[in-house]
Amino acid sequence: MRLITHNMLKCHVKNCKEPDKQFPLQFKDAKLEQIEAERNNEFLVRMLPRIDWPALLKTTKELGIIIPEKVPANPADDDEFLQALHTAILEMHVKEGSMVCNGCGHEYKITKGIPNMLLAEHEI
Amino acid sequence: MRDPVPDTVVLSSTAKEEQYVHAVYEKIAEHFSDTRFKAWPVIERYLKELPVGSVGADVGCGNGKYLGLRPDIFLIGTDRSHALVEICGARRLESLVSDALNQPFRSAAFDFAISIAVIHHFSSAARRRQAIEELLRIVKRGGTVLVFVWALEQRGRRRFADDQDVLVPWVVPGSRSGNDSSSSGAQDQVFHRYYHLFREGELSELFCQIGGCSIVEAGYDRDNWYVIARKD
Repeated sequence: MRLITHNMLKCHVKNCKEPDKQFPLQFKDAKLEQIEAERNNEFLVRMLPRIDWPALLKTTKELGIIIPEKVPANPADDDEFLQALHTAILEMHVKEGSMVCNGCGHEYKITKGIPNMLLAEHEI
Repeated sequence: MRDPVPDTVVLSSTAKEEQYVHAVYEKIAEHFSDTRFKAWPVIERYLKELPVGSVGADVGCGNGKYLGLRPDIFLIGTDRSHALVEICGARRLESLVSDALNQPFRSAAFDFAISIAVIHHFSSAARRRQAIEELLRIVKRGGTVLVFVWALEQRGRRRFADDQDVLVPWVVPGSRSGNDSSSSGAQDQVFHRYYHLFREGELSELFCQIGGCSIVEAGYDRDNWYVIARKD
């Protein structure tokens, strides 16, 4: 799983005590692997509005990946920014570990790079 | 050719879907995947018209045949079947295991969402509606949702009577499933999947009942009814 996907994920346990803390999910024991991918600047610039930057920043800090604190005014002209973004959201893969909800403590496991987001019947 | 049979199974919706949908896909995943490689034209066109940088979800992605169609968009696949998601993962396609009725995504996260031949597997009107509500929830305002479901009025190789709720056989040819050590393994294996067959107009009607969206396009293609709706 890439971090762009993680940026879209949210705990969906019903009756979570603190719904404000359901996003972003916090990684636990995450094993990362970097897999090189071709960079597409137009893709990166145009998908940027879909990224929740504060959530991505928090997550990358926890994982020890460096990205700029803020999105620059003209991201299309900022090669360093685009490379950092590309590496963080598209090249970094979480292979094993889990994601924990800071609201209710629910843990979603990641096995062989695949998150299991299913809930038990009573959690829906 | 084995015929579909009317669904007379008395079970709760969740138990029925567990037995006649989820469990079946786990068993037929490999054979199912081998038969699913060609993109359907309406879906291919829809995906090709999306702007570069679009981010979307393919809910019920199966073996992920649409996930890699456009390298300049980002499409996350989800499926209830671990076995099918593992096939996606082996192909390095971005995918995760989740339930279409309770999607693990933040609201308005995506530019678009597609759900191809999935919602007909929900065994009550309320659940089919909930699946579409979830698709609309996860796309932003102005984003679109594309849904395909099996038609009752199919004119192709399958013909149905008037029963909308049916069990449709999936046959895994015996010669390919020869992992049974006690015999020659030559026997076909038959699994029944539950389907709700949509009547003409029924899918559009569901979108209209939910509201908050406008139908951009609706039609019939490849034995399915489909709708493209834009979130208002």
